Amino acid sequence: MRFLGNAAAILRKDILLELRGRESLSLMLFLSLLLLVIFNIALDLDKESVSSLASGILWVVFAFSGILGMGRTSMAERDEEAYLSIVFSPATPESFYIGKALSNLLFLLIMECFTLLSFAVLFDFEKIILLLPQLLAPLVLGTLGFSLVGTLFSFLTTATRYGEILLPFLYLTVVIPVILGGVISMGMILNGNTDGAWKWIQMIAVFDLLYLAVSLLLFRYLMED
Amino acid sequence: MNLIEIKGVMKQYHAKTALNGIDISIGKQDSITVFGPNGAGKTTLLKIISGIMSPTAGNTYYNKKKYSDSDMRKEVFYLGHKTSLYNALTVGENMDFICRLFSINHRAESVRKILKEHGLWERRRDPVNELSQGMKRRLALAKGFITDPKLFILDEPFTGLDLRWRTSILAKIKEISTQGKAIIISTHLVEEGFALAKRVAFLHKGKFLFIKKKEEVKIEEIYRLFDSMGETVK
Repeated sequence: MRFLGNAAAILRKDILLELRGRESLSLMLFLSLLLLVIFNIALDLDKESVSSLASGILWVVFAFSGILGMGRTSMAERDEEAYLSIVFSPATPESFYIGKALSNLLFLLIMECFTLLSFAVLFDFEKIILLLPQLLAPLVLGTLGFSLVGTLFSFLTTATRYGEILLPFLYLTVVIPVILGGVISMGMILNGNTDGAWKWIQMIAVFDLLYLAVSLLLFRYLMED
Repeated sequence: MNLIEIKGVMKQYHAKTALNGIDISIGKQDSITVFGPNGAGKTTLLKIISGIMSPTAGNTYYNKKKYSDSDMRKEVFYLGHKTSLYNALTVGENMDFICRLFSINHRAESVRKILKEHGLWERRRDPVNELSQGMKRRLALAKGFITDPKLFILDEPFTGLDLRWRTSILAKIKEISTQGKAIIISTHLVEEGFALAKRVAFLHKGKFLFIKKKEEVKIEEIYRLFDSMGETVK
């Protein structure tokens, strides 16, 4: 119970920080809108092409906006060494990690909802909203994978001199399976092949479990020094 | 009985040796002030004592257990050069967060009591980034009072503070000592550090020149050592 209580306290604190500072979410929303506008102008797609390219465009936007947001949330911990108030407390490194991963997950999901709505409007593609119930599984599981890896790597890289440069390289390399799974499964759902999407969704779920296990092990060592 | 025992600790940063063969023990009601010129290794020593930095060699024990097997992190309060506060949160929210982590009952009441004691109650709704440096340090120290740790580790707690805030922080640290808590503090301010100490240590080039009971050291000796190392202190 205490584990969950501490994770919840960290999640609550991150929500308050976001409400006060509006640093992470506003940056993510702005970048996602900017990327969608660029894609919209550059690709000039008709309805048929949008259907086949939508999932690819969306996951590129999710990935890059997500990196930006997660980098900010870990910077908030490094500023003034605020994370030490968690380190010197009964909160275990694992509950710290889970709390941060949950807050990142929440902010990413908000950014993704905004991105989907903006996509529907900019590309005149309301189908993506109609199919949202089917898209939820790959979207939430893929975002969970993003958050699990991003939380670990954002802490790892903010502790290093060239952290902000390193983060996208490390992060994108490790989340490739989730991005691929997300792009392919969402593409299949948007093109009417819901059954075929399931094996990809299952693959994302397996990677999520793997990321969770490895991150829980590594985060403790990250907090040691 | 000793709360902390540090034996044969050495710390190297690449080619530079920051600490070399440090032995120190901290009793349950001890109060140690570590003096030393810039670059002597004081911050490294306190980070190792707090457990946030691992030594290159040597052993560290908390309540006779190795750090990794002990509960030290929830029983130690560490205040480094930075305040460990969330700048965007208000004074009250920072304290409330700490109370939640420590599962402190009657949170609102506890926060009110501590903030009033530290003269910060009127500022409870202000974001930390609107506080003066002195108030931030005082709030950072107030966190230690609410969590009731066994050991306070304070690294240069007076840095960047004017006389008024120095006096205020000094009074609060003295209060810790009267509550029977252990304290280890590093500072350049000889008079303040000396006033707080039961034992005095002087660190130079990663080694202790001495660790003695306060009665065995004259304050002039500390000034002389700083002078001989070309450092002017107050």
